[in-house]
Amino acid sequence: MVFWQRRTAATRGIERASMIRTVLAWAVALFVSFPFLYLATSGFKTEVEAPKMPPAFVPVPESLSGFPLAYTPTLENYKLILAGDFMPYFINSAIATLVSTLIVLLLATPAAYALTLPQTTGKRNVLFFLISTRFLPAVGVIIPIFLATRFLGLLDNVLALIILYTAMNLPIAVWMMRSFFQDLPADVLDAGRMDGAGTIQELILIALPMIKNGVLATAFLAIIFAWNEFLLALTLTTTKAATVPLYMISFMSAQGLWYAKMSAAGTLAALPVVILGWFGQKWLVRGLSMGAVK
Amino acid sequence: MTSEANPALFGRIPILGRFGLWIWRNPLIAPALLVVIVVTQAPFILTVIYSLFRWNLQRPENTAFNAFGNYVDIVRDTRFLDSIVTSLTFTVGAVLLSLLVGLIYALLVHDRFFGRGIVRTLLITPFLIMPIIGALAWKYTVLSPIFGVVNWIVRQFGAAPIDWIGMYPVASVVAVLVWRWAPFMMIIILAGLQALDDDQREAARMDGAGPLGEIRFVVLPHLKKYLQLSALLGSIFIVNEFDVIFMLTQGGPGTATTNVPFLIYQSVFYSFDIGHAAAMAVVTVLGTIIIVTYLLKLLGSLMGDLD
Amino acid sequence: MGSITISKVTKHFGALEVIPPLDLHIEEGEFVVFVGPSGCGKTTLLRLIAGLEDVTSGSVAIDGTDVTQVAAARRGLAMVFQSYALYPHMTVRENIGFPLRMAGIGKAEIARKVETVAETLNLTGHLDARPGQMSGGQRQRVAIGRAIVREPKAFLFDEPLSNLDASLRVNMRLEISELHQRLQTTAIYVTHDQVEAMTMATKIVVLRSGIIEQVGSPMELYNQPRNLFVAGFIGSPKMNFITGEKAAQHDAATIGVRPEHIALSKDAGAWQGAVGIVEHLGSDTFLHVNVSGAGPLTVRVAGELAVNFGDTVFVTPDANRIHRFDAAGNALPRRN
Repeated sequence: MVFWQRRTAATRGIERASMIRTVLAWAVALFVSFPFLYLATSGFKTEVEAPKMPPAFVPVPESLSGFPLAYTPTLENYKLILAGDFMPYFINSAIATLVSTLIVLLLATPAAYALTLPQTTGKRNVLFFLISTRFLPAVGVIIPIFLATRFLGLLDNVLALIILYTAMNLPIAVWMMRSFFQDLPADVLDAGRMDGAGTIQELILIALPMIKNGVLATAFLAIIFAWNEFLLALTLTTTKAATVPLYMISFMSAQGLWYAKMSAAGTLAALPVVILGWFGQKWLVRGLSMGAVK
Repeated sequence: MTSEANPALFGRIPILGRFGLWIWRNPLIAPALLVVIVVTQAPFILTVIYSLFRWNLQRPENTAFNAFGNYVDIVRDTRFLDSIVTSLTFTVGAVLLSLLVGLIYALLVHDRFFGRGIVRTLLITPFLIMPIIGALAWKYTVLSPIFGVVNWIVRQFGAAPIDWIGMYPVASVVAVLVWRWAPFMMIIILAGLQALDDDQREAARMDGAGPLGEIRFVVLPHLKKYLQLSALLGSIFIVNEFDVIFMLTQGGPGTATTNVPFLIYQSVFYSFDIGHAAAMAVVTVLGTIIIVTYLLKLLGSLMGDLD
Repeated sequence: MGSITISKVTKHFGALEVIPPLDLHIEEGEFVVFVGPSGCGKTTLLRLIAGLEDVTSGSVAIDGTDVTQVAAARRGLAMVFQSYALYPHMTVRENIGFPLRMAGIGKAEIARKVETVAETLNLTGHLDARPGQMSGGQRQRVAIGRAIVREPKAFLFDEPLSNLDASLRVNMRLEISELHQRLQTTAIYVTHDQVEAMTMATKIVVLRSGIIEQVGSPMELYNQPRNLFVAGFIGSPKMNFITGEKAAQHDAATIGVRPEHIALSKDAGAWQGAVGIVEHLGSDTFLHVNVSGAGPLTVRVAGELAVNFGDTVFVTPDANRIHRFDAAGNALPRRN
């Protein structure tokens, strides 16, 4: 609210304004986080406690139970879910996400590098073609993809998800990595050429080590998108290859509304990517803007 | 036949020949490009072809060429027009509100203050959470008539609880979309604020601009392209929104929240009407191209010359 | 080994002609400096020789062999860049050894050669450091080390000193000159700084808009500039140019006199003028004297001088040091 007054923060009124801003920012943050913080805490409650109002937020030992806003945490729900059929879904998600991300990096790295070289022609066309595919609605291709997958016998097979997630994340990965390659000082790459490195050697020995963070950032983003993907998983898998989001759906329809267990399952499903995103915060903007914003 | 020998494999077809040659000369790019073409372009061509056929998976014996019949059908069918209106409502409403909320978030957390890192992290989390779980949390912990916290507050004031999703389905979906997309806007706007030269702000102040003048004359003009970028990217993602609707409302009540992607999904997987769904998909893609074209122009100008 | 011949080389960037047809011969062992204002094409010319840019037409030959189509790395040249262009993820040892590694030389020999080079450049203690941990001067030495380890036919320097601060620049200038004395390898050095050109070069090439204005030794360029551009570019402070009647007296459209070739007196002299700004450098004093009919002239006087703004003084150009130019700006032969 008052960020433009930073430089003259010596005066009193501004200190007060900055206090208000701090409080306001925290209030907004807590308000916004309510749904997931509540979901996360509910997973540690018993089925009896979970739907109680007002929402209990403070975990306390059993001896203190009964206080307002307090609950006694339990790991029972997590044990039940992990002992149940959660793991196969989790493993499918992990395989589809990690394998597709690996392939994305293998394919995107050389492409992105070649798209920064002066001798490559038609760069603009290739880049815009790639990104336009990412921007067009998935429903535009879902029908033939479904039919083709069925025709190839790949329905309910993780391989289908791997292929589709690869194609889904490739354009963004190419754009993003290209923006990292482009930021490399031209002189260093010229020095590499003078020193006798060919294109591939230059990529592997000079350029790639210099954008280690960029590779990591690209991987982060690809993982986030693949892990959270729902429409394709819903369309192409049923049981054998079903991923975590489908677990949630099947859990809810099969078990009914068990608040605490549903919350625990939701937390488990969302957590890997949320944590990854927290660590990769500073790189998000680059990926989300296709490298246009740094 | 030309007298000149043509070395290219696809020599008879000039465009394919040129493309083939380009692919051959760019072995580093070719694999990525081919994967994307095979997985995304080929299916779209099939979608266009399907859209010209009468084809229902449940009555395959009735399959026949239908020319533009499916297109005529969907134009006549009010459900499709309704779903377009719903899509636009969601997109415009959610994008504008997310921009505003995202701008407020960004201004709140741009400067250093106690716990800024945690606050930022909390603010971006809705965007990281798997969309169907975010929607699930809203459905059962916030908006639910029995268990939702909003209704608990309402009850404290002595009012009767309200079935928010049932009574205000569009507003509920927009609320969840804004919750999810405002962080996205914030991230881009924050990057914009960081790129703003402090000297410019100080110069404006030296020139006599007050805090509001500074925002109006320096900060907002500087943010313009970032706001445009986030609005366009946001539009493209939100116009395709499927997950939140699937989890929150299943397109209902009735068809109140059935947007185009959800309608197409229903046509394929509930009515198995491939031809019909394909025609809607083609129209959707063509419609999206308009936004995409603007977006690509903007991206191009932000990235500078590419060739 | 290390003569370079450029024949009818041109370079276009799209429709823009950066280098019109250009010929230049560089003898083995010379220290050639390309100098000119920014945008004159000097760096482009260097990159054409290096092979980092392709010529649009014409040819480049090294030791009589046409290398126009030869890749940068195979031309046997080494380059030192303005930004040093070190590989940030490699240690100094790996940086210097990189060209040898690319040439497929064995590990033991690389290690030996890197040690030798490091010793010459006082880098022995830093071999395991990374460039990020070093000062600008040290990085520059690593860049030079990476160039000399290959024992190239010629060194190419692209404004290597412009990222250093003033005092370090003078030191590195001397180091590079000494290196050239010792190795006697051909060097091509690009700079916009005419002081570097004058102090380091055995041959200066003055470029403007891709055209060679003059080639010669530093003193040739100082004493016999071929045209107004070279006359104005070489020498500091700049040569004074006078047009009009005073030039006509010498049968020229323009005459030029260097500030150090004008005598100053408070009592008598050829031209009378009023003192404007006075710049005291300690070792020298630069006076800006407003002479009627000649305009403002810069006069350089050795040592200190007690004159004030507005004083009337007399200035006398050294008749033997007057440069005459025709209306097109080309130098006319000396009279007398």
